Amino acid sequence: MKRLTLVLTLVLITAVAFSIKITMTSGGVGKELEVLKKQIQMFNQIYPDIKVEIIPMPDSSTQRHDLYVTYFAAKQPDPVVLMLDVIWPAEFAPFLEDLTKYKDYFALDRFLPGTVKSVTVNGKIVAIPWFTDAGLLYYRKDLLKKYGYDHPPRTWSELVEMAQKISKAEGIEGFVWQGAKYEGLVCDFMEYLWSFGGDVLDDNGKVVIDKGDAAVKALQFMKDLIYKYKISPEGVTTYMEEDARRLFQNGKAVFMRNWPYAWSLLNSPDSPVRGKVGVTVLPMGPGGRHAATLGGWVLGINKYASKEQKDAAIKLIRFLTSYHQELYKAVNAGQNPTRKYVYQDSSLEKAAPFMVKLFNVFINALPRPRVANYTDVSDIIQRYVHAVLTNQMDPQTAVKKMAKELRWTLGQ
Amino acid sequence: MILPAILVISVIAFFPLFETFYDSFYSFSLRPGSVKRFVGLMNYERLMEDPRFIAALKHTVFFTVVSVFFETVLGILMAVVVHQKFPLRGLVRAAMLVPWAIPTAVSSQMWRWMFHDQFGIVSKWWVKLGIISPGTPILGRPSLAMWAIIFVDVWKTTPFMAILILAALQVIPEELYEAARIDGANAVQRFFKITIPLILPTIGVALIFRTLDALRVFDVVYVMTRGAVGTETLAVYNRHVLMGRAFTGNWFGYGSAISVAIFVIISIFAVIYMKSLRLKFD
Repeated sequence: MKRLTLVLTLVLITAVAFSIKITMTSGGVGKELEVLKKQIQMFNQIYPDIKVEIIPMPDSSTQRHDLYVTYFAAKQPDPVVLMLDVIWPAEFAPFLEDLTKYKDYFALDRFLPGTVKSVTVNGKIVAIPWFTDAGLLYYRKDLLKKYGYDHPPRTWSELVEMAQKISKAEGIEGFVWQGAKYEGLVCDFMEYLWSFGGDVLDDNGKVVIDKGDAAVKALQFMKDLIYKYKISPEGVTTYMEEDARRLFQNGKAVFMRNWPYAWSLLNSPDSPVRGKVGVTVLPMGPGGRHAATLGGWVLGINKYASKEQKDAAIKLIRFLTSYHQELYKAVNAGQNPTRKYVYQDSSLEKAAPFMVKLFNVFINALPRPRVANYTDVSDIIQRYVHAVLTNQMDPQTAVKKMAKELRWTLGQ
Repeated sequence: MILPAILVISVIAFFPLFETFYDSFYSFSLRPGSVKRFVGLMNYERLMEDPRFIAALKHTVFFTVVSVFFETVLGILMAVVVHQKFPLRGLVRAAMLVPWAIPTAVSSQMWRWMFHDQFGIVSKWWVKLGIISPGTPILGRPSLAMWAIIFVDVWKTTPFMAILILAALQVIPEELYEAARIDGANAVQRFFKITIPLILPTIGVALIFRTLDALRVFDVVYVMTRGAVGTETLAVYNRHVLMGRAFTGNWFGYGSAISVAIFVIISIFAVIYMKSLRLKFD
């Protein structure tokens, strides 16, 4: 009996002495936080000695960015595990633990290649993709059918034609998207640009936005959606995701460009368009390709954390990005898996059929320019694209100026 | 008792101020391993040639002059009204402060929705009144957006002006008005000859407070337009330089120079007020 007490005490002491606490940042959009807390409970069944404390972050991505800047500038060891927007790894790379040697431990070859690309900075892996996003086209199945269309638009000109006809007859808007001056505008612009056959940077990072006329045509097309075809309200120049979704969800628009998160909201019990919505890949441009911007969030480790904390963090990230946990997150929080094979799981097909159906969109989603000073690149694009959309500049001048400023910023 | 006060003030006020001044003469970033290079006045020379800085300066001064003007005039009117005796005065005085009590980030978001082109209540009214045509995005029009932002700022901070001025009104002795009345001065004369001169020092202090706040305006602009369509103010531009470029390029000194510029502009306004209103602070 005495011996047993001794052993138990020793076990307890070791457990306490070797238990470690790590902090992790997380968003709190929808069911995100609730789901993560459950996942941490499951994690603790395997690793009872790692205590994870969640630090909720503000909803705005820019505010999260600025918080990280303050943490890093202060060389804080906390938070240990960092939830990062897919556009930040290059900028924050100097503060992130190099995970290249754990490539196989995380099984990165089983992830969507675009997401792996986004966490690779100068050949080094600095974070692990957690969930992904891609721009999608939402459409009103019922209205398309009513006006004799048996399939969603495959090209932008088809979309314009359908939207004009239906919106005029129904007295609603044709096509809503994100045209306010913020990061979302860059995502939308990139999709038009790619589908018209252009790009901002080439594979070597050289500015090519003014090569050929794709950028001018894409910008002209965006502008025409508002002023010439009149299928988008002038108000899109002030819309973010939620502005567009609210209009569409209230039955006030035929088409909408948005992220996957809108799907479950559009089909919630109190939604006026429940069951009437279809979702598909964004239309092709004259460039002959469909294009979707890659979004999503990745998990990195703070370089200033202690060795023990980093080891614990690696275990936590491995757990959260495992097959079963990605499936759990996709089914319960509606966030897209970054692992390829999860898309073949029958339980995902049951919970979120569109994710499985649109696998091709997610695997082909393209990242925005991957440069350390992406915030500057984004700022330049936002300013000039918005100036065109609000009739303050013509597309030719905008592309010329954009190219000049981009070259200057990137030192070319 | 003075020593600890000076110590606290120097730690929390002078030290960051001094450091910002100091940083503005250097070129560096917050990236680990970045070397601070002394560049003298280069950041300030660059400021003069930066069209974005000049534009932001113009927007900021315009915003400040217009919003503070309306806040002062409306604030005086509001204070005079609630200074009168009427039923439920206490309740009205408290209710008046509601806009001031709501965090700016929250109220700006609220107004952003009210300015929405499709379901915004303000848009609806303005269309009915014939100010705008249906479907006009108020926050997406270069001519309208800045006025909408000024409108929100006036809505929010007029109560603050009013409360300060009300305090000044309450200490004006009633005998002065009585004497004036006996001498045959009418209400307008009493207002301009007695009330205004006696509340002028308070207005001066309130003006300095408000101008200082308006010159570094950030949240209302950032939430409503993010500086689009000619609404970018100095603080919004500075956020981009300090936070967006914290680890890339060598912009931190330049961002500090913008901060110093905002500080200098505020000082200029403060001196003008003090001289023209003959305020004394000792």
